[in-house]
Amino acid sequence: MIRVLGHGLLGLVREGRTLLLLTVVGVSLGVGSVVAIQTLNQGALQAFGGSVRAVSGQADLTVLGTVPTIDPALLPRVLADPAVRDAWPLCRLDAALADGSGDLIQIVGFDVFAPVRYPLTRQLDETGSAADPGDLVAAAMAVPGWCAVTPHLAASHGWAVGDTVPVSSGSRLARLVIGALVDFQRYEPLAPVNIAVMDVAQAQALLARPDAIHQIDIVLAGDEDPGTAAARLQRNLGPGVRVLTPEQRAEDAAGLLAAFRLNLTALSLISVFVGLFLVLASVQASLVRRRREFGVLRVLGMQPRQVLVLILAEAGVLGLLGVAIGIPTGFRIALWNVETVSATLTSIYVLEEISRLVLTPTVIIIGTAVGLGGALCGAVLPALDMSRRGVVELLSPLTMHEGARRTAVPLALLAVAAMTAGLLWFVAAGGGNRYAGFILGFVMLIGLPLLVPGVIRAAGAPLRPRGLGWVLSLRNLTIRLRTSSFAVAALAVTISMMVGITLLVGSFRQTLVTWLDVTIRADVYVSTESWIRAGNEAFLDAELLTALGGRPDVQAVETQRRLRVSTADGRHRVWLSGIAFSAVPGVTLASRLPLYAGDPEAVAGRLLASEAVVIGEPLARKAGLGPGDDLVLAGPDGPVSLPIAGVAFDYTSEAGTAFTTLETFGRHFRSDQPNNAALFLQPGADPDAVVAELQRTHRGRPLVFRSNATLRREVLAIFDQTFAVTRTLQTMALFIAACGLALAQLIQVRERAGELALFRALGATRAQISRMFLGEGLAMAGLGLALGLGGGAGLAALLILVINREWFGWTIRPDVPLGALALEVAVILGAALAAGIYPAWKSGLSSPAQLSRDDL
Amino acid sequence: MNGPFPSLVLDRVGMVFPAASGSARTVLDGVDLSLHAGQCLALVGRSGSGKTTLLHLAAGIAVPTSGRVLIDGEDLGGMTENARTRLRRDRIGIVFQFFHLLPHLNVAENVALPGWIDGRPGGGLEKRVGELLDRVGLADRSRDPVGRLSGGEMQRVALCRALLNKPSLLLADEPTGSLDDRTGQVILDLLLEMAEAERCALLLVTHSLTVAARAERIFELHDGRLRQDPGVPS
Ligand SMILES: Nc1ncnc2c1ncn2[C@@H]1O[C@H](COP(=O)(O)OP(=O)(O)OP(=O)(O)O)[C@@H](O)[C@H]1O
Ligand SMILES: [Mg+2]
Repeated sequence: MIRVLGHGLLGLVREGRTLLLLTVVGVSLGVGSVVAIQTLNQGALQAFGGSVRAVSGQADLTVLGTVPTIDPALLPRVLADPAVRDAWPLCRLDAALADGSGDLIQIVGFDVFAPVRYPLTRQLDETGSAADPGDLVAAAMAVPGWCAVTPHLAASHGWAVGDTVPVSSGSRLARLVIGALVDFQRYEPLAPVNIAVMDVAQAQALLARPDAIHQIDIVLAGDEDPGTAAARLQRNLGPGVRVLTPEQRAEDAAGLLAAFRLNLTALSLISVFVGLFLVLASVQASLVRRRREFGVLRVLGMQPRQVLVLILAEAGVLGLLGVAIGIPTGFRIALWNVETVSATLTSIYVLEEISRLVLTPTVIIIGTAVGLGGALCGAVLPALDMSRRGVVELLSPLTMHEGARRTAVPLALLAVAAMTAGLLWFVAAGGGNRYAGFILGFVMLIGLPLLVPGVIRAAGAPLRPRGLGWVLSLRNLTIRLRTSSFAVAALAVTISMMVGITLLVGSFRQTLVTWLDVTIRADVYVSTESWIRAGNEAFLDAELLTALGGRPDVQAVETQRRLRVSTADGRHRVWLSGIAFSAVPGVTLASRLPLYAGDPEAVAGRLLASEAVVIGEPLARKAGLGPGDDLVLAGPDGPVSLPIAGVAFDYTSEAGTAFTTLETFGRHFRSDQPNNAALFLQPGADPDAVVAELQRTHRGRPLVFRSNATLRREVLAIFDQTFAVTRTLQTMALFIAACGLALAQLIQVRERAGELALFRALGATRAQISRMFLGEGLAMAGLGLALGLGGGAGLAALLILVINREWFGWTIRPDVPLGALALEVAVILGAALAAGIYPAWKSGLSSPAQLSRDDL
Repeated sequence: MNGPFPSLVLDRVGMVFPAASGSARTVLDGVDLSLHAGQCLALVGRSGSGKTTLLHLAAGIAVPTSGRVLIDGEDLGGMTENARTRLRRDRIGIVFQFFHLLPHLNVAENVALPGWIDGRPGGGLEKRVGELLDRVGLADRSRDPVGRLSGGEMQRVALCRALLNKPSLLLADEPTGSLDDRTGQVILDLLLEMAEAERCALLLVTHSLTVAARAERIFELHDGRLRQDPGVPS
């Protein structure tokens, strides 16, 4: 049996190297896309987990502020809890390097006398045999700006111990002194590289505010259960803080990314699905070719079951080859994309940047299961079919395509029935299920390929060819229906995905542009280098604001304070903005409210006259809130309840947003120092000139001035970056589909050797035969395109109207990006043509001399 | 097509195939042959004697290792592969033992195939197809799929296809080889009759001496050489 298997595999290699290669490439790309996405997904979570462990490695519990600073008076209360053995405060903020690079570093201010040696400080103790740990502690306290950074960070910026490094937090500048190089990653491999550790009092004094605490880490005594202790602490400390176990913190990050991850995972699975068709097609083709071989083996006494096992074993080897290539490929692809994903994580989700990707055993197992399982799934139907056939049938020259022709109509009917049933179910019962959109999408993606044989038949059968033109090409597809169906189905699914996403992204972008038109109305925007991540501590100082307001070319200054808070029930994170609205002629507040629900004039009036808040659409959907409800936030002194005046379209964060006046904000959240400012210029002033002048005036300060146009450009750039991974997935799927086309055509060249030889004998030139094949390739591409455009429109509708609303909470106005679609169609046709070139060339090589020996 | 030149001339044609052992295998060795329009010539010989090989050379499907092949006085040797292919399309018709009809095309379409390859417009082509099918008695079957035809009927369709482009040379490789005797007779009659009517030269490869006997001349291939009128039953 083993020998027969080995022989069979050798045979596969010998007779169809290209065929085998295409199949393996298809499988490996499918595996690769899954591995890439899973690696990135895990990388994102691990980066967060790594940073949690690096900072709070030995802590059993962590207290986080909801505001997010913590009242320092809470520390004694934490320590008073009987279960708490020790607790220490941390001051955490993000600072920008003031060296012109704008790179951000995470400052962790810790208590050098904290009794617990967590990774950061443990390594500190061991650093440099020359220095006594006691000296280091003394230096950390005595030398102004003393900090420890990783050797990696130091090397990438060319720092040495003793160097002074200017950094900024908001509009404040401070000087850090590199006091020690500490390899935190030795203890926590996934610790962020851009971390700087310093004394908590110094961090507060230099970069934040006195007493600013963001986190309290706790070590419990003895055998107290962390859950119980957390609950008790939460009760004692009040709603201004959240007491979390490390697991809960990880879950938080996972929950934050759930929608993002799920979407990418679903997309990568489409690639696997497409890859499955390739396996199916190639196993099928090899079995058709080898049916006599199996017939002979059966005559020689092989059992049907053995034939089945033999075929599955061959497919398994194919799958493993795909896995062996796919896993490293996927990891590579993850590495190529890590930067853009990381940028999305930091700019949109305000999480850690992914500093390192590792290929985890879990991902390897998933990749192997997908590749091997996919190959076996693809092989099982043809294998069963083959093993069930009788010896006589195997040895007689039957055409396997007959069966496909007979089942084409029933399959199409089944597909239509399934899709209709799916749609009806969705309409009737889908509302209650978060995953309903995905399930309907799945049913559509299963139904589409089932339609293919029927569609090919319907397209080709009624036409009578009158020459070697496209009609004959189309007719030829119907002859070997199985092979052409696989290729067209793979293409149709891929194009559906590509078109669906292009429609989604195009619509989303257009919606965003329209939204920016309404909301981004000031002429110049002022923020700081560290603001992107460090909103909380990055303030603009009062002198600067006065100076800006005093400029003759400035008509009005609008300031904004932004803070991340949670709802009082702890279920939703909200970016809350307090805005000091200014009355600018022609740019009323009402005209700037992109309201989803509510009358702009009335909402603006309420916002300005009384305590009220406008919430963003994602928050409204996720928390089930609307005008008339109260938004209850966790404030520093307990729940803050604000009446909701209106719901506005909002595309800044899927986590949820809300805004109110700076005054209301300050009353409840203690601080009204702004993070950003927007300048409305006098009529006639040139924003670019003003920006240039401001940059000149404030050279050397960590301020960022952007004109209206620049800000929009940057917002759209971030948007595009978010979809960069999707582009990679689309490209990979197109690659697989192109492999499928090439595969189908190579199979055709082989199966139709007799026919081609006849054409040659009747006087058709090589070029004519090649053209006929290219025509068939284009006919397949055309059918795939027609089906794919239909499927893509359906998928887009699902993505835009259902999945995005359900998972991200966004209303996206459907829009057809004609240019992008045309480009995509051109790329697809180009890929189809490219895929057809080799088979077409190969088809021209067939020799008319064969005819005297073979039958057709 | 009926110029001063013979339809087919083989001039000291030799064909040597490289064998697996590294040595060479001589299949044809200085074969001379001349065949005029309207003539019919039968080629007999043992299996493996090189009959099909000779036919391939005459059709321009293969090129001889030595000697010349001329169709209507044109030397195939100087031609490109494409030129030979076009010449085959325009001047040569081939009938195979196994008919080689395309199962997914109907009777008329199979006959029209060389016209399609030629890129000929529909009207004249359809008329010619109808005419030929009428002559072989299949006019009423022209829309039928070829799969439903009997062997004899299939060969008649194949014959029409071979004659579609009005060739000057008709090559038939055991055209009755897969038919029973009676059907074979009928096909042979048709073949001779149609070749005569179309004024083309016919080269007929066969195992059967009774078939060969219907030709004007009989040649036997033996050890790579042609012998006229063997007269001995094989
Ligand atoms: N391409 C080739 N390469 C090598 N040897 C070949 C090739 N084509 C034919 N031969 C050999 O040439 C010899 C003649 O073959 P051919 O097919 O012409 O015989 P034939 O007379 O038609 O036989 P049959 O009556 O069985 O059809 C055979 O021995 C065959 O093996
Ligand atoms: Mg022969």
